[in-house]
Amino acid sequence: MKNASKPRFMWLCILLVLLFPLGALAMDSEECQGCHGDIDSVGEDLYINEAAYGHTAHSGMGCMACHEEVSDEHPDDGASISASSCSDCHEEVETEYMASAHAENATCGDCHNPHTALGLADVSGHDMNQQCSNCHENTDVVESHADWLPQADLHVAKLPCISCHTGSEDYVIILHIIQKESEAAFGDFEISKHQDLQALAGDKKVQSLVDLNSDNFISLAELRTFNRNPDYKSMRLQATMTPKEASHSVKTLDNRWDCSFCHTSGTENMQTSFLALPNDEGTFSRIEVEEGAVLHALTGTPDFYMMGTTRSASLNIIGLLIIIGGTLMPIGHGTLRFLTRKNRKH
Amino acid sequence: MAEKKMIYLQPTPVRIWHWLNALGIVTLCVTGAQIRFPEYVPLFGNYKNAILLHNTAGFVVAISFSIWFFYYAFVARSMGKIYVPTKDDLQSGILRQAKFYFLTYFLGWENPHHPSPEDKFNPLQKSAYLAIMFVLVPLVSLSGILLTNVDPLRGLIIMVGGLKILMGLHFLLACSLCAFLFTHIYLATLGHTPFAHFKPMWTGWEEELEEHHSPAAH
Ligand code: HEC
Ligand code: HEC
Ligand code: HEC
Ligand code: HEC
Ligand code: HEC
Ligand code: HEC
Ligand code: HEM
Repeated sequence: MKNASKPRFMWLCILLVLLFPLGALAMDSEECQGCHGDIDSVGEDLYINEAAYGHTAHSGMGCMACHEEVSDEHPDDGASISASSCSDCHEEVETEYMASAHAENATCGDCHNPHTALGLADVSGHDMNQQCSNCHENTDVVESHADWLPQADLHVAKLPCISCHTGSEDYVIILHIIQKESEAAFGDFEISKHQDLQALAGDKKVQSLVDLNSDNFISLAELRTFNRNPDYKSMRLQATMTPKEASHSVKTLDNRWDCSFCHTSGTENMQTSFLALPNDEGTFSRIEVEEGAVLHALTGTPDFYMMGTTRSASLNIIGLLIIIGGTLMPIGHGTLRFLTRKNRKH
Repeated sequence: MAEKKMIYLQPTPVRIWHWLNALGIVTLCVTGAQIRFPEYVPLFGNYKNAILLHNTAGFVVAISFSIWFFYYAFVARSMGKIYVPTKDDLQSGILRQAKFYFLTYFLGWENPHHPSPEDKFNPLQKSAYLAIMFVLVPLVSLSGILLTNVDPLRGLIIMVGGLKILMGLHFLLACSLCAFLFTHIYLATLGHTPFAHFKPMWTGWEEELEEHHSPAAH
């Protein structure tokens, strides 16, 4: 979806450039950033981080797309500058969100900073939950969910809140490379940073750590090679279940009470997984992974198991054979015992 | 002819342990089946109930295991004698007992082993119970403890090889316990009457038949 919109964007930019010849009407983004990109000249509150802004889809539009009324005298005129409302451009999202009860609790700007806003595929579940934790303190969430949710700490740590709290219908499995932050046995694992992975990859692309043949597709064999490589021992694959598309109907859905909404042998989409690799600017890029990665008995995602969902068929068969083995004695011996019962009557 | 003699075979702590354990393990097997196959085994209403029941039963089994261990190791101090097969058991006892179960039993011969409080189990039982009580049950319990604390104990889980290996281990060990259950209950009916072994497990007292010449029980 994002890729599809990129070209459209370029046209939008070109259009904007054509409509507002540089300098004729007002300043361009670069000029704005001359002051606003420098924390020393404008101060923390008015600072726009150029790197973070540069990776948003918004940056392509230029500052003026949202701050139309900046005069040439700015900032000396002291005039306040308006900012367009999100709904000017995101009508659908706006309609969906305003219909939810949560609209009374938070505005778009409470969850998104227009200067750093990223799309669903660009962020980790942890990043998304950061937006919620501004108001919903993590420890409180764990505590309140533990009243009804087994392993609430694990759920809250590993799942994006929006997987349970929006009306998303389809989900995909997103794999992240995580690594231990310290040598301690119980050290916390965190999502690997681009620099760490780049250091391992040397002069090759980070992607080549897992996608050995760089074909933008990760086969189960490649995944297994990565998992078994002793050089990468400090790294593990972590997985989570993310909505396929972002929905803004923020609420508590009745069926999310029902564990088997997720814990049941997976729907089609649960078979779809992506590896999300960190880019140097802190966003993520997704690479598709061959189907079945999360189902594979031992190798695909050694640290990801969803009860009832990602059970392995081959283990099921071995288990069944073991149980059948246990019934051989009663059945076999019992039959002979019955046939020879006369021998024991004296 | 044989005359009846009562011996106190199963002391109270052992009986309490055993029935708590049996109830616990059966519950674990059934709820475990629902947890792994929610579409096919919707027994306890919803998934959450199955999990809560499973965790509770796991807890009960762990407690009863401690009763068992504590009693045999520190109170009766007979754990080694009762549960560890002797050299003699291994060299000839197992064979002798297997021959009885699979051959001479059908011919109507007498069980070569006579239980006493000090020597409760025949060599086959010893080996089987040893494997169950010292390997299977502790391993299932340990893997269960890890699985109920995935986030805090992740470091340990990774040392085991990851969540999937741990899960696979837990599942296969549990299947083995379930398989044992069938065999175990069946073998318990092989006394001189089908319920002869169940009674002492309930009341503590075994009716031992003092028989010297007649080759078979009643
Ligand atoms: C010469 C440095 C400079 C340039 C260039 C500049 N700004 Fe500013 N801007 C400031 C300063 C200083 C303030 C704070 C003014 C104040 O508090 O009255 C400010 C304030 C703002 C505000 C907040 C106003 C409010 O009412 O809260 C916005 C929005 C803004 N600038 C946008 C822009 C945009 C968009 C551009 C480019 C078109 C731009 N600025 C270019 C220095 C600059
Ligand atoms: C997608 C629309 C959009 C774009 C593009 C955009 N802004 Fe903003 N900007 C806003 C909105 C909305 C606010 C008001 C935020 C608020 O009130 O919390 C804002 C607020 C500001 C502020 C006030 C301080 C703050 O962070 O709230 C400054 C300064 C600013 N923008 C500068 C810029 C500059 C410089 C650019 C270009 C580099 C830019 N903006 C691009 C939407 C945008
Ligand atoms: C001037 C039009 C405009 C305004 C105003 C605007 N946006 Fe956007 N926004 C866009 C366009 C164009 C895109 C990229 C196309 C797409 O992915 O839908 C975008 C993308 C986004 C994205 C996803 C980024 C991505 O990479 O896919 C978010 C999040 C977002 N906007 C939030 C906001 C919020 C919050 C506001 C209000 C503060 C806002 N936008 C205001 C035009 C706008
Ligand atoms: C309660 C928090 C919250 C509020 C309020 C909110 N959003 Fe979002 N929004 C999210 C989350 C979480 C995502 C997932 C992607 C991310 O975190 O950037 C998202 C994603 C988006 C996207 C990108 C969708 C995509 O497919 O990549 C857009 C566009 C967007 N929001 C616009 C808005 C607009 C416009 C509003 C106000 C009407 C708004 N959001 C209000 C939390 C919120
Ligand atoms: C600006 C603060 C703010 C942010 C950010 C925020 N919320 Fe809320 N949210 C509230 C408030 C206030 C309430 C109402 C009081 C309560 O239930 O805690 C609420 C209530 C809720 C409820 C309960 C609604 C119901 O119908 O029972 C859910 C679910 C929820 N938020 C989810 C989220 C999620 C998910 C995010 C992040 C994507 C998020 N919130 C971000 C302020 C916020
Ligand atoms: C496994 C699904 C799931 C996840 C993940 C989840 N929630 Fe919930 N949440 C629920 C359900 C179901 C309820 C309704 C339970 C109730 O009302 O007691 C709920 C209730 C809430 C409420 C309202 C009741 C309260 O506790 O105050 C808030 C706020 C909330 N969640 C926020 C969050 C946030 C923030 C996150 C992410 C950190 C999150 N939830 C993650 C399923 C989930
Ligand atoms: C409903 C299920 C069960 C029934 C009906 C049952 C029945 C019996 C009976 C009748 C005995 C006495 C006979 C003998 O000494 O061999 C016994 C002993 C024993 N059972 Fe079970 N059992 C059950 C479940 C289990 C389970 C789940 C385990 C272990 C995981 C277990 C482990 C043992 C052990 C170790 C003994 C010997 C106890 C001792 O005297 O120290 N049983 N059982």
